[in-house]
Amino acid sequence: MSIESIQLDKVSKRFRLGATNEYGRLTEAIATGVKNLFRKSHDAAAIRVPDSFADRIEAGWFWALRDIELSIQSGEIVGIVGRNGAGKSTLLKILARIVTPTQGRVGVRGRVGSLLEVGTGFHPELTGRENVFLNGAILGMPRAEIRKRFDEIVAFAEIESFLETPVKRYSSGMAVRLAFAVAAHLEPDVLIIDEVLSVGDQAFQRKCLGKASQLGAQGRTVLVVSHNLAAVANLCQRAVLIRDGRLVADDVPERIIDQYLSEMRAGDGQRVWEDDESAPSSREIRLRSVSVTGNGSEAPASEVDIDQEIAIVVEYKVLVADTPCCVQIQVKDETGAYVFWSANAPSMNLEPDPWFAKPHATGTYRSECRIPANFLNDTRYFVSVLIGPEVGIVSVRHDSALSFVVHDTGAMRQEYTGSWLGPVIRPRLNWRTKKQ
Amino acid sequence: MANDEDSIPPMQFYGPTDKFGFGQLAEIWRTRELLYSFFLRDLLIRYRQVVVGILWVLLQPLMGMLIFMGLFFVLGTNAGSSTVAFAPIILTGMLCWQLVASSFRDAAGSLVNYRHVVTKIYFPRMLLPLASLLCAVFDFAIGSLLLLPVCMLTGTGLVWSTAWLAIPIAMWLILFCAGCIAWLSALNAHYRDVGYALPFVLQLGMFVSPVVYDVERLRSLLTDRWVWLYEANPIATCIGLLRWSLLGTQLPSMLGMAMAAAITALVCFSGLAWFQHADQQLADRI
Repeated sequence: MSIESIQLDKVSKRFRLGATNEYGRLTEAIATGVKNLFRKSHDAAAIRVPDSFADRIEAGWFWALRDIELSIQSGEIVGIVGRNGAGKSTLLKILARIVTPTQGRVGVRGRVGSLLEVGTGFHPELTGRENVFLNGAILGMPRAEIRKRFDEIVAFAEIESFLETPVKRYSSGMAVRLAFAVAAHLEPDVLIIDEVLSVGDQAFQRKCLGKASQLGAQGRTVLVVSHNLAAVANLCQRAVLIRDGRLVADDVPERIIDQYLSEMRAGDGQRVWEDDESAPSSREIRLRSVSVTGNGSEAPASEVDIDQEIAIVVEYKVLVADTPCCVQIQVKDETGAYVFWSANAPSMNLEPDPWFAKPHATGTYRSECRIPANFLNDTRYFVSVLIGPEVGIVSVRHDSALSFVVHDTGAMRQEYTGSWLGPVIRPRLNWRTKKQ
Repeated sequence: MANDEDSIPPMQFYGPTDKFGFGQLAEIWRTRELLYSFFLRDLLIRYRQVVVGILWVLLQPLMGMLIFMGLFFVLGTNAGSSTVAFAPIILTGMLCWQLVASSFRDAAGSLVNYRHVVTKIYFPRMLLPLASLLCAVFDFAIGSLLLLPVCMLTGTGLVWSTAWLAIPIAMWLILFCAGCIAWLSALNAHYRDVGYALPFVLQLGMFVSPVVYDVERLRSLLTDRWVWLYEANPIATCIGLLRWSLLGTQLPSMLGMAMAAAITALVCFSGLAWFQHADQQLADRI
């Protein structure tokens, strides 16, 4: 039996663009009002925006979302996929009732819990105990329920001995644990999660996603915005693709991810950031491209043979002289399983990389990581790129920057023709048997 | 659980249910537990790392009273009533004024100071300014206890026959404050000027209302022809009424009270409608 849990009817949202009333001053509002008496429309031409947004601008307004039609049944876990600025976050905020749609209407059945940020409303002056009650109440838990689950929450966060200490004296790890513990005990009918909350901490991200799938199993509706495509593929039964404020596809996650990646030009084995604005960057470093090569050729390829060496190539620009750089990659499979992590540090390399953590002069650099043949299994892998001043420290990152599929050529199937499904890697190792 | 036939909640559509914002009242009632949590938070935060703690609630009106009594003593003027001691007159004024001033001040900043919460999660936004108001009401209620010792020390008899009326009169003043903070908090979220202008308005308001003097002193100046205009200010009327009910000073004029009641109703209804209107764009604009 399925009941409609979320319903969006032609939902649109527009924001005011540019300097009009930017600082929200009363005198400005009056001045603008007076000016508009004499001038019929706003001058949109004066506002600078990226070209790709051009068709979303209309007389000083920016359409963040347009005519979104979506119906979600209870118990569904739906992923929302799209590039930055496509309107994903606005959609979540509309569903969470934070932002009011300009047009259309939104219907939700039951209690909505939104985790757009962990620890919303935590107050540093209040103690752990007081914050649990406050944060729980803000998230929509009745006081009686918080009281009932209080011990559970505290045990989950592992902060028993700090309950009467103001949160400002907590380590950041403790504060996050407590905040997540409260959120994890929330039992809404509809849960809305933004990936932002899981940035930086792998264990934490896993916990969040675990919570989401647990709620889904209980027949509750979950909506997830994520750049972590592996997680979307693993967690969701359905995904929607948002492009330029419109919902362009609604399908099983695998197909949505394929479509998204091909739109991102990551489907052909490479991901290039042509304009500086969209490229993941910090003050010192800007990613230029990530590509994968294999099949014994130097050309990028999204499908590589299992018995050929695979190379992952990261190109980045150093913007500030003397920046030390360490390039790292994370590889995950379609189920979100973390296959490996590697950096160009000497002890992690067969031969030391001369540029590792060296001060880089400004310019473009190209780092290559070679994965031996007959090492990965025949499945799809997702590559995340991380660059930082030293190993384990990240200043620029891009999750699931690209994906590639490894094809079985039969290299390891001379003796066995069954399934290789299950293991995340399929390495060719050294076996030797001796009679004792 | 969603698949339990009996407990399927109805589909709720977002957006205003009525033009006048009455729907907000029902929502505030539904989320009263969160209001209590916000109130508790504001209360707890205020007296953290404060040595004398909650005593400040009593010290503030008391100090205010002593300062103005000293000032008028030095100036040699009598700003009080001809029949009642000055201390309780000024204390009732100070208590009411602190209710108005602190609720206005805290509520005006309530949405802006919590914009990181307002833009991340939904709850009826009216709860934030209302929590500030509740804090001010809490102070007012505690501070009112000072009236008994002050009356005893100055030998002023409380008028017990009308004293119970002080409660509905205080409710009137609180209601007026609620209307005003609905305006102020949402206006401040859109136009920060409000926050800057407020201190001056409050300073002026303190002298336009009979906080540190009794209306009696103005009656001769304003004459009966104009005193109703002065009393159209609900704060002035409420302070006047409180002094009448507790201390037995002169009752404000009927016309003045009617005007004040009409203004209170206007501020409350328009505040409710304005807040709902402003709330629609709050997360975009704050």
